[in-house]
Amino acid sequence: MTNNDLLLGRVPSELNTRPEVHNLGADACLFSVRSDLTIDGTVQDVWVVVTQTKIFTVPTHSQPTALITGPFLLKDAQKVQTRHTVGSGFLQLLIDGTYVDVARYSNARREIFGKVRAELERLIQGHPLNTEALVHPSEFACTKCGLPLPARRAVCPRCAGGRSVFFRSVGLMKPYQNSIVLLLCILVMGVGLDLLPPYLTRILVDKVLTPKENIHWLPLILLGLVGASLGRQFLNVIIGRTSSMIGTRVSKELRERLQTKLMSLSVDYYDRHSAGSLMSRVLWDVEYFQGFVWQVAQGFLLNVILVLGIGAVLFMMNWHLALLVLLPVPFVVIGTIFFWKYVYPQYYRLSDSQSKMSQLLTGLLQGIRLVKLFGQEKREEQRFSDSARYMQNARRSVEMSVATFNPIMGFVFGLGGLIIWYAGGHRVFEGHLTLGTLMAFFGYMGMFYGPISAMSVFSNWLTGFMSAGQRVFEVLDANVGITDEPEATPLNNINGAIELRNVTFGYDPYSPVLKNVSIKIEPGQFVGIVGKSGSGKTTLVNLICRFYDPQDGQVLIDNQDVRTLAQHDIHKHVALVLQEPFLFRATIMDNIAYGRPGASPLAVMDAAKAANAHDFIARAPSAYDTKLGERGAGLSGGERQRISIARALLCDPKILILDEATSSVDTESEQEIQKALVRLCKGRTTIAIAHRLSTLKNADVIYVIDEGKVAESGSHEQLLELKGVYHNLVRIQTELTRLES
Amino acid sequence: MSDTTLPTTSDNRLSITGVRRLLPETATIFEGAFSLLHCAVKGDQMYRGVFAVLMFPIRHPDRYISLRYTDEKDKVGEIGVIENLSAFPKETQTLIQAVLKKQYHEHIIHRVYGVRHEFGLLFFDVETQRGRQEFIMPWRHDRAEDFGAEGKVLLDVNDNRFIVPDVLALPTKDQRRFTNFIYW
Ligand SMILES: Nc1ncnc2c1ncn2[C@@H]1O[C@H](COP(=O)(O)OP(=O)(O)O)[C@@H](O)[C@H]1O
Ligand SMILES: [Mg+2]
Repeated sequence: MTNNDLLLGRVPSELNTRPEVHNLGADACLFSVRSDLTIDGTVQDVWVVVTQTKIFTVPTHSQPTALITGPFLLKDAQKVQTRHTVGSGFLQLLIDGTYVDVARYSNARREIFGKVRAELERLIQGHPLNTEALVHPSEFACTKCGLPLPARRAVCPRCAGGRSVFFRSVGLMKPYQNSIVLLLCILVMGVGLDLLPPYLTRILVDKVLTPKENIHWLPLILLGLVGASLGRQFLNVIIGRTSSMIGTRVSKELRERLQTKLMSLSVDYYDRHSAGSLMSRVLWDVEYFQGFVWQVAQGFLLNVILVLGIGAVLFMMNWHLALLVLLPVPFVVIGTIFFWKYVYPQYYRLSDSQSKMSQLLTGLLQGIRLVKLFGQEKREEQRFSDSARYMQNARRSVEMSVATFNPIMGFVFGLGGLIIWYAGGHRVFEGHLTLGTLMAFFGYMGMFYGPISAMSVFSNWLTGFMSAGQRVFEVLDANVGITDEPEATPLNNINGAIELRNVTFGYDPYSPVLKNVSIKIEPGQFVGIVGKSGSGKTTLVNLICRFYDPQDGQVLIDNQDVRTLAQHDIHKHVALVLQEPFLFRATIMDNIAYGRPGASPLAVMDAAKAANAHDFIARAPSAYDTKLGERGAGLSGGERQRISIARALLCDPKILILDEATSSVDTESEQEIQKALVRLCKGRTTIAIAHRLSTLKNADVIYVIDEGKVAESGSHEQLLELKGVYHNLVRIQTELTRLES
Repeated sequence: MSDTTLPTTSDNRLSITGVRRLLPETATIFEGAFSLLHCAVKGDQMYRGVFAVLMFPIRHPDRYISLRYTDEKDKVGEIGVIENLSAFPKETQTLIQAVLKKQYHEHIIHRVYGVRHEFGLLFFDVETQRGRQEFIMPWRHDRAEDFGAEGKVLLDVNDNRFIVPDVLALPTKDQRRFTNFIYW
């Protein structure tokens, strides 16, 4: 979005000749804004012109006299809204009880039209224009270079100077630079040792064997050969050990960093990414970093040094022959380019198949009951077999390419050898070259081609590494979403006041779930929230716990905006019992004490007692030491809920939120829990979301949420008197209970 | 209980409580004031400002069209579902097609001329039903999702939708350019 999409106080000059613009007269233009679509979806610039009394649109090009929509008189409009459809949006006015389309825009203009909507709302309500809000620069593009940002107000990757996967990986090795420098020195020494044996052979052939003299040199030369080989292997041991030490540490640290990062990512990241794909990054993609040092040092640097070193020696011995040695090099270059173009992408597919398979498996294993219940084992077998075939094909195409590529390169090198035999043979015959030099030449040449073909193994590895690295950095670079401010206010003791001030929030920022919600909860109050499912109750709780930040308005705890508090502090004082309780695969004791690992056994039992869980736990043979299965398998839904209530109570939070926490608990147990809560809730703010209204009878205030808005609020009696939504709900439920009895 | 044993005809028992079928005999659809779509259903009220949503936009892009309206409390409700639009008169079909065009704004990619990777972004140069076009998308797994069995829908930096209905139907070179980056 560029700034000339919005003009304040005027219409773009190219439209001045249009009659509808020309005839504006005293009806001054307030602003005009450019959209990129006509109502029927044609991509074309359309100007939306807002004057003091009306709003209309003018296309820039074709249909010179036609107004596409309007003019609409602002006094006829009761309301304004933006309606988001798939890929585009509409600015609409409510006229005569129906929403009428004024303009359409692609998603690229959502931000500006959101502001236009807010301004039109002001105008309709008779307020003056708020120019400042309208011209506020976009928060989704770099203000310097215009590059789209990965997230709102994020750092621009271009201006910050982004680096490639490879150099970032080198950066990861920084803490080990001393070991790496040592490694490099050893490598150079190793190359020296490698160059020794052919030289010794040359002496052996030319000075001992051919002239048949100096026989006493033989053991010395052999000793030299043995020494070189021994030294070389010794250095290999050091190289292997050092690079393994660095590699294992780097991959361990990288895994830890990934895990820390995954913990810090806000919950909305997990709405968008599957657990299976994240798992495969931590488990498999990081593996590649393990070999990074070894591959770069041994697979790349060593070979480069060798090629340079041997090349120099070859040229010094005989530059004619050395030139011939270089003949296959162009083929190697072509081969490598081919490899990167065709084989590299196949690695992507290979790792994709791994991640798809782990996604499939996690889903399958978690939903095993469902599969059995619906008798879908055969279909799941088929799906798994498809996934396994995908993996097989992906791996096969990688390995087949490699398996074809390497022998072809081998053949090319072989040809190079034959040329040397031919040319070198002639030279020896003609006496231009000693046999020993030719032998040494062959020795060096073998070593020369060795590293070059080793390079193809390296590029093989590098391709896999780059693709894995990209996925690892994708996670490391993910926008945390919700961050603490650097000088977050510490929150040691709180009273437990909660306030939502004009909060508007949507998981998709352009379709709000909560609309301008204001709620004020005093410290120590017991607050009930009721509403249809999907009305936004859990969302409300999510905002109080700061799992998400509202797009508009504020959430305050003890009169402080939660955005100025450290998340850690919020979660210390707020305990939430989720609608779907989650239990870890551990003992009941561990699960209850999860928030307070040091809790004494008596404290744990007290908490369980209050949650009406003590008795059923006591009945199990291992009581509190009973080990639970995955996600609390082995317990009923109500029992799981009660354990998670106990877990929350044990933390003794200042604010306790129960999100339909007793929905699966029988009425009798629920009442027991309720009684305990009433006694425990003294001095603690409690928010209870419930469907069974009897649970909330004693609440100080009850909020009725409907379609993301607070429809009614007040005590049970007050709400009954209102004879509104709540009254209706109570009526329905009492009828139901009558039916039951 | 598997879905294969469910009757496929629309007159199974569930239809008693199910969605309302809109048929040419029961529903009259016409254009009214402000070129808004109106729909009158026999034995029910008249709905104004009607819009249409595809219930199976990928599997059945030309069938199962839900007609919807916004009530005075800004709540969206369903009038009913048209199973087969071709059963309706020509004019009605045109009207419904027009409101469907309003509901969906998507770019269908036929050719991929180039994909460049820089700063974690992919710069696409493609041919869509609207002609040659460029767009930028973040190179992340959540920005390219499956569309049907072999397709992909790409979300550019502004959340505009670019659809490749069938990756395998792209010319080989384009396919390679595409899958080099969108490989999942
Ligand atoms: N993680 C999410 N991503 C997108 N939409 C969500 C998410 N969670 C809930 N919603 C939507 O937000 C609305 C309110 O949900 P919620 O607050 O959970 O309702 P409830 O009142 O039943 O607790 C629903 O329409 C739901 O589909
Ligand atoms: Mg809920």
